[in-house]
Amino acid sequence: MSEQSLPPIDRRAILKSAGIATVVLPTIGAASRAEAAEPKPQIAQAQPPAAAAPSSAAAPGAATGHQFLSLDEVAFTEALVDHMWPKDQLSPSGTELGIATFIDRQLAGAFGQGDRLYAQGPFRMGKPQHGYQLPLTPAQYYRAGASAIATACQKRFGRSFERLAAADREQFLQELASGKVKEGPLDLAAWFNGLAYPLFVQGAFADPVYGGNRDKAAWKMIGYPGLPAVYNQDVVRFRGKAHPRSANPQSIQDFS
Amino acid sequence: MATTLKEREVVIVGGGLSAGLIARKLVPLGRDVLVLERGAPRSGSESQLPSQRDELRWGIQRGLVQRENVETYTLRHTPEETALPMRRLLSFLPGFGVGGGASHWNGQTWRFQTTDYILRSHLEQRYGKAAIPSDMTVQDWGIRYEDLEPYYTLFEKLFGISGKAGNIKGVKQEGGNPFEPWRAEEFSLPPLEPSEAGLIFKAAAEKLGYKPFPMPAANASRAYTNPDGMKLGACQYCGHCERFVCEANAKASPDRLLFPFIADKPNFELRTHAEAFLINYDKADRRVTGVTYIDTETGEEFAQPASTIVLGSYVLSNTRLLLLSGIGEPYEPGTGKGVVGKNYCYQTISGVSVFFEDRYINPFMGAGAYGMVIDEFNNDHFDHSGLGFFGGAFINATITNGRPITTRALPPGTPRWGSAWKAANAKWYLRSFNISCHGTSYSHRGNCMDLDPDYRDAYGRPLLRIAFDFPENDLKMSLFVTQKAHDIAKATGATIVGTPAPRRGPFDSRIYQSTHNTGGTIMGADHATSVVSPHLQSWDAQNLFITGASVFPQNSGYNPTGTVGALGLRLADDLISYLERPRFL
Ligand SMILES: Cc1cc2nc3c(=O)[nH]c(=O)nc-3n(C[C@H](O)[C@H](O)[C@H](O)COP(=O)(O)OP(=O)(O)OC[C@H]3O[C@@H](n4cnc5c(N)ncnc54)[C@H](O)[C@@H]3O)c2cc1C
Repeated sequence: MSEQSLPPIDRRAILKSAGIATVVLPTIGAASRAEAAEPKPQIAQAQPPAAAAPSSAAAPGAATGHQFLSLDEVAFTEALVDHMWPKDQLSPSGTELGIATFIDRQLAGAFGQGDRLYAQGPFRMGKPQHGYQLPLTPAQYYRAGASAIATACQKRFGRSFERLAAADREQFLQELASGKVKEGPLDLAAWFNGLAYPLFVQGAFADPVYGGNRDKAAWKMIGYPGLPAVYNQDVVRFRGKAHPRSANPQSIQDFS
Repeated sequence: MATTLKEREVVIVGGGLSAGLIARKLVPLGRDVLVLERGAPRSGSESQLPSQRDELRWGIQRGLVQRENVETYTLRHTPEETALPMRRLLSFLPGFGVGGGASHWNGQTWRFQTTDYILRSHLEQRYGKAAIPSDMTVQDWGIRYEDLEPYYTLFEKLFGISGKAGNIKGVKQEGGNPFEPWRAEEFSLPPLEPSEAGLIFKAAAEKLGYKPFPMPAANASRAYTNPDGMKLGACQYCGHCERFVCEANAKASPDRLLFPFIADKPNFELRTHAEAFLINYDKADRRVTGVTYIDTETGEEFAQPASTIVLGSYVLSNTRLLLLSGIGEPYEPGTGKGVVGKNYCYQTISGVSVFFEDRYINPFMGAGAYGMVIDEFNNDHFDHSGLGFFGGAFINATITNGRPITTRALPPGTPRWGSAWKAANAKWYLRSFNISCHGTSYSHRGNCMDLDPDYRDAYGRPLLRIAFDFPENDLKMSLFVTQKAHDIAKATGATIVGTPAPRRGPFDSRIYQSTHNTGGTIMGADHATSVVSPHLQSWDAQNLFITGASVFPQNSGYNPTGTVGALGLRLADDLISYLERPRFL
């Protein structure tokens, strides 16, 4: 049976776009190593960036205490999450909620470093339904996408995304999400829908212990009561009724 | 070089549900049993407050399941395409660690329909041979429902299933499933308290003349002690069930009810971090001699001789181990010859959301099997003449969770970000639910598994390659049942009814659709078309037995685990007889 062959991924172009000269892909040896990394909630640092301990001076974005994102990536990410999660009567802005902090920590941590991701070649372009197929870790991928978006915005508007007016940001994001923004070898719609958007949603709604959803503001907004969630009696008492704890959710830190 | 260990009487590969059911029976009878499990024992933090309620860790980042950087699967939609690795496993989540998938399942616990076991004969008899598409490779199982009934009953008692009988020994029961195959007894526990969504669904279904009933649940509606003296607590409806280990010890699972029952017996050993990769096979003698495994903590290889071997390592590992070991003839989709890897099936799931301005659904009060169901359009419960497809789905409103990253239904037309999106979340989170269709998956000539020629696991062995797409038959079925769900949705009086989403191809590996993979080592009465006999004994090695949903020739419209449980318990009885006098059963 002859196999229909898939085009190889232009690996070099993608790596170049990610600003990576030589890639160090997560390699896997003994599974003990593979099993070692667990996502680590950082209770001590789940505070506004200003109060967070600065990371080592050499690290990118040291002044803001960011762990992975460089200063321009911070500016982009904050603008992105503030546009997508604007400050309004329902809650503070995305940055105030900690979504950018969440994204930074996820990219710096196990997830961003490619924990769990199957990273063996050969690398080929698949159909969307095959899912992510690039040789980049999520952190490298985020960086590559942010950089392509910076270039696309410069070309189109003569300025970076964070300097765009709200209407331009909106139009740009609509086009980004629907595949109309083309810049470099990456599929930027896949980047937005498959990486940036899920991180954005997680940053908003995950337990505050991971740096987002500060003060449980997103949970309060929707009425999710959080922990401890022991509802054996409540399923009858509050069936079809407002649950009193929807207004006053509790999170992991409230129990730690 | 592998270190050779001392021979053991029965070695079971995989420490999940099937292993627990078999060991529970053999060990008290004095049989020497060793279970090889690739993962670790549960450490405890998965099931303790507050970390148990960490949606990001367990739900989104899938902290309990198979790690795809160690082993994943490659996917192609037809056998003609080149397969690519699923670099993240998202559409299904193979279990890992003691208890397997059944330690973090939902607990929706069903019996398959009487016609499921004789599907081909039944369809031929009712609709004629010519009505079955030539590429639909459905088969009979080689057993009948009656063979399994006592084992379903035992499984439901061991796991303390909450529910309402619909048919006790042929007598219909009010409030139960009128389509239920006959059962010997009432369920062990009464159903869970109905949810607001369940009541809304029930009223709408009744308005349309259907007979709704509570879903059979392995989430205990109250404290329970099983016939082995093992205990469950009462479900707290905490909404952290599927993908999570239960905090209240209310979800029936092997690591709570089965392994602890025999843990202190000297003739039982559960060896963790032991990943099997080869079943040593003496082809001339048609016998297996042992299991070669790697200690995943040290990297050391061991050869574990065994006089009898049972594969209970879930559908995908069961199939892969046979292929890696050269046991049985691999299936070839081009010619239809061979059997190992044949008839890979899945589950065809779809649905429609409903939104109520004036009603509190409170989805955070949820449990894995907290559902109200109708069964009118499942399997062959309705006449398929002229419909152009076979099979069906149960339609249900099940409030499994309101975890906020995962479960926030939004009405059609809602933007994906911005103030309007936030406002829609704030408005509808507490006031919406999904009506879903849990549908059959019928085997198709091209849907199969083999070893991938290009991609390898972390130890350098070929990955399992899956060729799968939803067959035309199942897509038509999904369209039909989703329309029925839509009708119910409209009858609920919802403020907004969402856009019905029947299942469409191609199969999308990015979206979770159930861990109900089936097939690959199918059972049957004919050696030429099956891998194991009706007693789950390998046709190619007398002392090798295989169990789990890998033996299903096709998948029913029900969740698989009730049937996996019954098959495991029946195999345990068969093994007792076999060990007394080894032979082809
Ligand atoms: C999130 C989720 C929800 C689910 N909900 C439901 C539901 O509501 N209803 C339902 O019917 N079913 C449900 N299931 C499916 C259910 O979990 C399985 O049907 C059931 O666990 C299968 O039992 P098993 O013994 O075949 O496999 P498992 O219980 O998964 O056990 C297999 C074990 O084998 C081990 N193993 C695999 N390969 C090897 C190897 N090479 N060497 C050593 N060990 C190995 C694995 O680590 C695992 O522990 C759900 C599954 C998941 C993941």
